Amino acid sequence: MLSFDAAAARALDTAAASGATYADIRFEDGRSERIEVRNGVLATLSDATSLGYGIRAFYDGAWGFAASSDLSDAGLDATAAQAVAIAKAGAAVAARRFAEAPTDRHVDEFATPVARDPASVPLGERVALLLEAERALRTTPQVRAGRAWIDLWRTDKSFYSTIGSRIVQRIYQTGSGISALAVGADDAQDRTYPGDVGLYQTGGWEIVEAAALTENAQRIGEEATALLTAPQCPAGELDVVLGSSQVSLQIHESCGHAAELDRVMGWEANFSGTSFLDPAQLGTLRYGSDRVSIGIDNLMPRGLASVAYDDEGARSVRSDIVRDGLLVGFEMSRDTARTIGRETNACVRASSWRSVPMVRMCNLSLAPGDVPFEALFDGIAHGIYMESNRSWSIDDHRLNFQFGCQIGWEIVNGKRTRLVKNPTYAGVTPQFWNACDAIADAGSWVAWGTPNCGKGEPMQTGRTTQGAAPARFRKVRVGVGYDG
Amino acid sequence: MDRSARETLATRLLNVAGEGQLEAVVHDEAVALTRFTQNAIHQNLAERDTSVRVRAIVDGRTGVAVTNDLSDASLRAVVERARAVAAFAPREVDAAGLAVNAEPAAPPRAFVAATADASPADRARIAADAIGAVERAGLWAAGFVTTSRSGLTIANSSGTLVSFDGTDSGLNVKANGPDASGFAERYSGDVAALDGNALGALAAQKAVSGAHPAAVEPGPWTVILEPAAFGELLSHLTEHFSAQAFDEGSSFLCDGLDRAYMGPSVTLADDFAHPLFAGRPFDFEGYPTRQLPLIANGVAKHVVTDATWAKKLGLPNTGHGLPAPSASGPEPEHIVVSGGEKTLDQLIAETGHGLLITRFWYIRSVDQRKTIVTGMTRDGTFEIRDGRLAGAVRNLRFNQSILEALNHVEFSSTQQRTAGYSYNIVTPAAKIENFHFTSTTDF
Repeated sequence: MLSFDAAAARALDTAAASGATYADIRFEDGRSERIEVRNGVLATLSDATSLGYGIRAFYDGAWGFAASSDLSDAGLDATAAQAVAIAKAGAAVAARRFAEAPTDRHVDEFATPVARDPASVPLGERVALLLEAERALRTTPQVRAGRAWIDLWRTDKSFYSTIGSRIVQRIYQTGSGISALAVGADDAQDRTYPGDVGLYQTGGWEIVEAAALTENAQRIGEEATALLTAPQCPAGELDVVLGSSQVSLQIHESCGHAAELDRVMGWEANFSGTSFLDPAQLGTLRYGSDRVSIGIDNLMPRGLASVAYDDEGARSVRSDIVRDGLLVGFEMSRDTARTIGRETNACVRASSWRSVPMVRMCNLSLAPGDVPFEALFDGIAHGIYMESNRSWSIDDHRLNFQFGCQIGWEIVNGKRTRLVKNPTYAGVTPQFWNACDAIADAGSWVAWGTPNCGKGEPMQTGRTTQGAAPARFRKVRVGVGYDG
Repeated sequence: MDRSARETLATRLLNVAGEGQLEAVVHDEAVALTRFTQNAIHQNLAERDTSVRVRAIVDGRTGVAVTNDLSDASLRAVVERARAVAAFAPREVDAAGLAVNAEPAAPPRAFVAATADASPADRARIAADAIGAVERAGLWAAGFVTTSRSGLTIANSSGTLVSFDGTDSGLNVKANGPDASGFAERYSGDVAALDGNALGALAAQKAVSGAHPAAVEPGPWTVILEPAAFGELLSHLTEHFSAQAFDEGSSFLCDGLDRAYMGPSVTLADDFAHPLFAGRPFDFEGYPTRQLPLIANGVAKHVVTDATWAKKLGLPNTGHGLPAPSASGPEPEHIVVSGGEKTLDQLIAETGHGLLITRFWYIRSVDQRKTIVTGMTRDGTFEIRDGRLAGAVRNLRFNQSILEALNHVEFSSTQQRTAGYSYNIVTPAAKIENFHFTSTTDF
C-alpha cells in the first residue's frame, strides 16, 4: 500500500495556513476490474486504476471540498487552498451554519477479511467461468441476449485530519451475476441471478464462488423463456410473499432512503427529495408491525459497506433504525446527528476520492424472523410470491411506491402453484410494513449488496447492503400497471 | 489539461512499443458544484481529474486498461496492461476496426471561457440570487449551481486524432413552502445564461400557486407536461433507438423502421449541434456523430449505431459509440423534440379539464417492450378548468405507455433544455390526452 503521510501533512498544513480551522484529506487508490460476456463475446474486459484525494476544509461554519489527482506538492497546495476558498465562499452567503469541526481523533488500520484474493485467480480462469455461465443461459432460441459479469474492486483509503487522525483501510468488494433476455412475438422478459443485480459483498473470490453462476444459468434461461407464455399476474388486493432480494429492495427504497437524516433535514430536497419521517416521531411512529426490526451494522461480515471507519473518520457502530416496529433512529453524519442531539452512527460515504462525503444507508438490514421460508405460504388463500426486482419507483417523500418483479408464482390455499409474469405491487410505506406478519428465519437471510445506489449532486453511485429474508405482507394492491 | 497537452499525451501512449493496434482516450474534466438548502450553502465542491483509457487489439483480441496516474512508468504500464488483458480475451474474427477519420467540426460556442473559469464566488453569487428571490416570497430554497469543463482527445494507431473542448453550466432551484413546492431549471454552455433572480422567482411563483393542494381522483386525464416533465418521460424511450436493443428485440422498434409508431405531430432527432447542446461532434471511438432523424412525423427513420453494431447489421456508423468495447451498445445522447405551432399558454387555454405538470420524479420502466413506465408528479401540479389554471392538486402516480401517449400529443412552440441523471433533452411542453394516473398521495 502506498503511504500518503508526507502528502497529507503538506496538504493539511496548507489548508490550515489558508485559514481552515479544521481540515481532513482522504486518499483513495482504487482498482476496478470488470469482465462482461454478452452472447458469447467478451463485451467488456477492463482493468482501471484511479488515484486521488479529496480535501474537506472547515471555515466559519461552512465546509469546502476540493478533489484532485495531482499529487505533486503544487497540486496538493492548490487543492488545499481551493477547498478553503470554497468554504469561505460558502460562509459568506450562509444565513445559517450547518457544520461544526469534528473533535474525535482515531489512529487505526483495517482490512476486509478475504478468503481468496481475487488477484490470485488467473484472468483466464475468470473469463472462462463467465463464458461457460453465459453459454449455459442460452438454452432456448428465445434467449436473445445472455450476459454474465464479474466486478472486482479493491480500494485503499487513507484518511488524515488536522486533529491527528490517521486511518488506513483496504477494502475488497466483489460481485458477479448473469441475466437472460427472452424475446417472443410481442413480449420481452428478463431474468437475472442472483437477485436483480447479482451478488455483491465485501470479500474476495469466495463471493463469486458463492454465487454459483453456472449451476443456476440453465434455470434462469428457462425461466425467462417460460415467462413469455406465462399468464399475466392477477390483479387485486392479495397477500404477497416477497423473495429476499425484493425485500432488500423494499428496505432500501422505503426505509433506507427515508431514514437518511440529511434527506429528513432537506439537504436533498431539490433532487432526490425529502422524507415523510421527522425526528419528532422517534420512539412514537409505528413504522411497521412488531415483527419488523431494521438496523445498521457497518461491521457485518460481507456487508458491501463494511469498514472500520466512515469517510469523515468516524468509527463504525451498530445502531437500530426500527426496533419491533417503532422508529428509533436515523442514518447520520456528525453534522446531521448534532441537529437531533445524537452522536453520528458513521453512515458517511463518498463514492470515490473525487466525491464529497455524504450520508448513506450503508449496511441496513431487516432482522430475520422465526419461521422456515416455505411456512410463509401457510394461511394464504390467494396470493402471489414474487422474486427479483424489475421496476422500482417511489415518491420524493418515500411514501407512495410501486415495485415490479421479474417473476411470480400464484399461491392458492397455502401452495405455490402456476408461474405468472409481470407481477407488480404498490403501497404506502408505513401501511405496507405494518402489513408484514411473518419473516423467514436466518436460514434464508442474505446480505444483498446494492452496488448502484444513486444519490447526491453530482450524482454518486454508492454501495450498500440490505440484508433480508423472504417476508409475507397481507392485503397488498397487486397488478398495478397492467390492470387497465 | 489543454488540447495540445492531451494530444501529446495520447501520442505518447500510441508510441509505447509492442504488438497490435492501440486506441488512446484522454479525458480531462473539472466539475464544480455549489449546493444550497434552507436558504444557505451546505455542499460546495470542485473535482478535477485526468484519465487515460487504452484499448489494445492484438490478433483480434481486445483488452482495456485505465489509469489517472500520468507518470511515464504508469503510462507504459497501462498500455502493457491493456495488451496483457487482451491476451485472455477470445478472438473476434468479425470485430470492427479502429476509426480512420479527420476531426469533425465542433458546433459554435461549445467552449465558453467564462464558464471554464467560473470561481466559487461566481457560483455563490448566482446561488445567493436564487435564494434571495425565493426567500422574498417567504419560502426556502434548495438547489445547485454547477459549472464544468471537459476535454476529450481520441487517437489511434490507424491515424485518427480528434479533440473536443466543451463547457457546461446549470442552475436548479426548488422553492419550498409549508404544503407546496415549485421548480425551475436552466442549462447552458455559458454560465452568463444562469439568472438566479429569474429562476428563483419562477420556482417561488410555482410554490406560491401550489399552496393548499386539493385531492383529485386518479384515472385518465388530459395533461400538459412542461419540458422538465416531458423530458424525463421521454428519456425512457432513448435506449429503444439503440441498434443493440433494435436487434435483440427489447426495443419497440423491433417491427422495423419506416413504420409509424407515434402520432404525426412527433418528430425526434439526435443532434449534438443544436444550439442548446453544442456538444461533442464525435463518439468515444472517434467516429463523427451524425445529426440523425429518429422519428419523422411519427415514422421511425433510424437507430443509432457504433462501429460494432454498424458492421453487424450492415448499417452506416452513425457515431454514437460509448467507450469500446461496450456491453451497453450505442446510445443517442442529444435528443431534440421538434416544437409545434402554439404557445404553452394557448395549449392551456384550449384545455377544458386537465392537469399542468411541472416535473416528474422516479420514472422507471414497468414493461420495456410495451414502453409502460410508472412515476410520480412533484414540485407543482395544477388543475386546468375551462382553459385556466384553477389551483394546485396533490401529487399523483401514473402508469403509462409512452408510445400510447405519443399517439395523442401536441407540442408547444418553445423548446427548452432539460437534464437529469443520465439524460439531456431539448423539448417543448407536450399536451397529451388520456394519460393514466393510478393513485394519489396526501401531499
